[in-house]
Amino acid sequence: MVKFVRALSAALAAVIVASSFVGCGSKTSSNNAASSNDNTPVTITHWLWVDSADYMQTMNKIADDFHSKYPNITVKMQTYAYSDFSNTLTTALAGGGGPDTASFKLTWTPAYTQNNYLLALDDAVDKWEGKSEILPMLWDKMKEAGGGKIYTMPWTWQVLYVYYRPSYFKAVGIDSVPKTFDEFIEDIKKCTTTINGKKVYGFGLRGASGGQEPWGSFIQAYGGRFADENNKVILNSPETVKGTQVFIDLYKNGYAPKTAVNDGLAELKTMFNNGQIAMFIHHIGSSVDMVKANGDDIDAFPVPKGPGGQWTSMGDTENVVIASTKHQDAAIKWVEYLASADAVKKWDLATGNLPVVSSVAEAAEFKDNKFMKVSMESQSYAGIFPILPTTANWVNNVWAPVMQQALMGKISAEEAVKQLDAQLKGQA
Amino acid sequence: MKKKIHWAPYLLIMPAVLFVLLVVAYPVLNSIGMSFQNYNLMIPGVRGFVGFKNYITVLTDSLFYQSLLNTVIWVVFGVGFQFIFGFILALILNTSFHARGAIRATVLVPWVTPGVLIGLMWSWMYDGNYGVINDVLHKLGIINKFIPFLANPSTALPSVIVTIVWQGIPFFAIMLLAGLQAIPNELYEAADVDGCSRIRKLFNITIPSMKNTIFVTTMLRIIWVANSIDVIFSMTGGGPGYSTHTLSVYAFKKAYGTLDFGIASTLSIMLTLLLMIVEFFYLKNFFKDAE
Repeated sequence: MVKFVRALSAALAAVIVASSFVGCGSKTSSNNAASSNDNTPVTITHWLWVDSADYMQTMNKIADDFHSKYPNITVKMQTYAYSDFSNTLTTALAGGGGPDTASFKLTWTPAYTQNNYLLALDDAVDKWEGKSEILPMLWDKMKEAGGGKIYTMPWTWQVLYVYYRPSYFKAVGIDSVPKTFDEFIEDIKKCTTTINGKKVYGFGLRGASGGQEPWGSFIQAYGGRFADENNKVILNSPETVKGTQVFIDLYKNGYAPKTAVNDGLAELKTMFNNGQIAMFIHHIGSSVDMVKANGDDIDAFPVPKGPGGQWTSMGDTENVVIASTKHQDAAIKWVEYLASADAVKKWDLATGNLPVVSSVAEAAEFKDNKFMKVSMESQSYAGIFPILPTTANWVNNVWAPVMQQALMGKISAEEAVKQLDAQLKGQA
Repeated sequence: MKKKIHWAPYLLIMPAVLFVLLVVAYPVLNSIGMSFQNYNLMIPGVRGFVGFKNYITVLTDSLFYQSLLNTVIWVVFGVGFQFIFGFILALILNTSFHARGAIRATVLVPWVTPGVLIGLMWSWMYDGNYGVINDVLHKLGIINKFIPFLANPSTALPSVIVTIVWQGIPFFAIMLLAGLQAIPNELYEAADVDGCSRIRKLFNITIPSMKNTIFVTTMLRIIWVANSIDVIFSMTGGGPGYSTHTLSVYAFKKAYGTLDFGIASTLSIMLTLLLMIVEFFYLKNFFKDAE
C-alpha cells in the first residue's frame, strides 16, 4: 500500500511538473504580413497622446471614416501620457514590441533613426496625392530632422504665444498688448497685484517639464541661441544667462506663483481659469478649453521681440510608421489619411490646432479664429529645438530638474546654463 | 546501507522553485549582468561589457550621494515615525472600547489604498494654491501665507515623509497589536502585585516581550520604504530639483527616463548591497541579544 501511494505521488508530481511547462512554448506570431492590397483584414495599432480625453471622440470618428474608406483595415488606438510617451515607445521598440504607427515629435527623430526604429517614407510621400497640399515649410523641417530623409508625416503644428486676461489688463491700466519684451516684463509686474479682491500673479511660469519652451523665448529675447547654422550647440553664452536670470527673477521676486517650480500645463490652465495668473505661454491647442472656461475674457498676443531677438517654440505633432511593422501598406495608408484634408479639418476643429493642409488653413473656421491669427503672426520667428540625438532626453529629463534648482536658488543662472549646455552637447 | 532518495517532495516543490527562480533570481542576475555593461536603449550600437565603469561613474556622481542622503532621511524618519505612531495606536486598540472591531478595520484604510492614489490625494492636500492643509493652517492663524509644500526644497521631503508615515502606521498598528495580544496576562498581574507603574510595565514587560515582532516589522518596513517610489513619484517626481530624489527614484528615472539600464542596474545593486549591510548589523544585534 505504501509503495502504491509513493508511486502515485511520484506520478502526480511528474504530471504537475510537466504541466508547468505547458503554454511556455515559443510564441507563434499571430500577425501575418498580409498586405492591405489583397483585402485581407488587417488590424494596426496606433499610439498617441491627447491633451484632453474629449479629443478621443474625434480620433475615433477619424478612425471610423478611415475604416469606411479601407474596410479591411481597422485601427486600434492606445493613448499614453505625453510626459512618458517617448520613453514608453522607445522601451517597447527596444523590447521588440510597440505599435505599427505612433504620434511623434520632430525633435525625437535622430534618437529613433539611429536605432532604425522608423520607416523611411520618401517613396510613399512622392506617390501620395496629398503631398502638394501640405505646407511646404513643413516638408523642409521633416527632411532636416531626418538627415535628408522623411520619416514623419505631418499632422498638426502649433506656435506658442501668450494667453492673457483682458479684464486684468484693463484693471491695471494696460491699454494695449506689449510690443517689446521689456514691456512684457513690465506688464507682468503691473499685473502682480490684487484685482477684485484676489491676489493675482502676472505670469504663470512653467517650472515643470515643458517649461523649456517659454524659457526658450526668454533666452532668445536677450540674444541667446540653442545652436548655430551648423547645428552646433552654443547655448552657454552671457546672453542665455541674462535671459535665464530674467526668467528666474520673475519667480524669485514674486511675479509668478510660489508653486511655479512644479507647475505644468494643467496647473497653469487651472490657475488662469481661477483668475490667479494674468498671463501664461502656450499654444492654440489649449484655446478650446480656455474659451469654454473664460468666454470672452481670454485673448492672446505674440511673444514680443527682445533686445537680442524674437523666438517662440513651434510645437509639432507628426505620425510615424514603425520600421518593424508587419502591415506596412496599411500603416502608410493610415498616416497618409491622418494628413489628408478631411482628417486634418476634423482634428483641428476639435482641438484648435493649426492645419498642415493649405486648403484647410484657408477655411473660414480657421482664418477667422483670433488664436489662429496670433499663431500665423508668430510663424515667421517660430522655431524648434536643435534636432540632435540628445534633444529628446534633454527635453524630457534634463531641463526641468536643472531649472528647478536654479529657481530655488540652489544653483546660479550661470551654472544652470552651463549644465544645460553640457547635457545638450552630450558631454555630461 | 545506502539511503534511498525520495524524489516526490522535490518534484512537488519544483513548480514553486521554478517560479521563484524566474521571478526573483533571473531578474536579479540579469540586473547584476547589466550593471557591468554599457546598456543604454537609446544607443544600442555601443552596448557591451565595461567592467566596473558604471560603479565608478555612480561613485563619482554627486547626485548619487544626494540621493543616498535623501534615502537615509526618508527611511529613518519614515519608518521611525511609522513605528512610534503605530505602536501608540496598537496600545490604544489593545484596550476595550465600544466599536473596537470596526475601528480596527477602519484603521487599515491608509494601508490598503494604492500608493499612487495616496500620492495624488496628498499632493492636492499640500497644494500651494488650493490645498486643504494650507487652508486649515491659515484659518487657524498658524500661517499668514499659503506654503508651497511640494515646491519648496526644505519642505518637499518632510511633506512626502508625512505621507509615507500616514500610509505605514496601520501596518505597524496591526502587527504590533498581534504582538501585544500574545503577551501573557500573568506578567502584568505579577507586575501589579509588585506595584509597577504603567511606564515601567511598558518598558520592562511590553517592549521586551514584543522584541521579535518589533524586529521583524521594522526590518520589513526598512526594506519596503527604501525601495518604494510610488508615493514620491506621484507627489514630486523626485523634485523639485533633486530634493526628494532617493536611490530608488534615481534608479527608476535612469531606467525609464534616460533608458540607461546599465547605470540604473548599478544603482539598484548598490542600494541592495547597502540594505544588506544594514540588515546584517540588524540581524547580528538581534541574535546577540537573543543569545
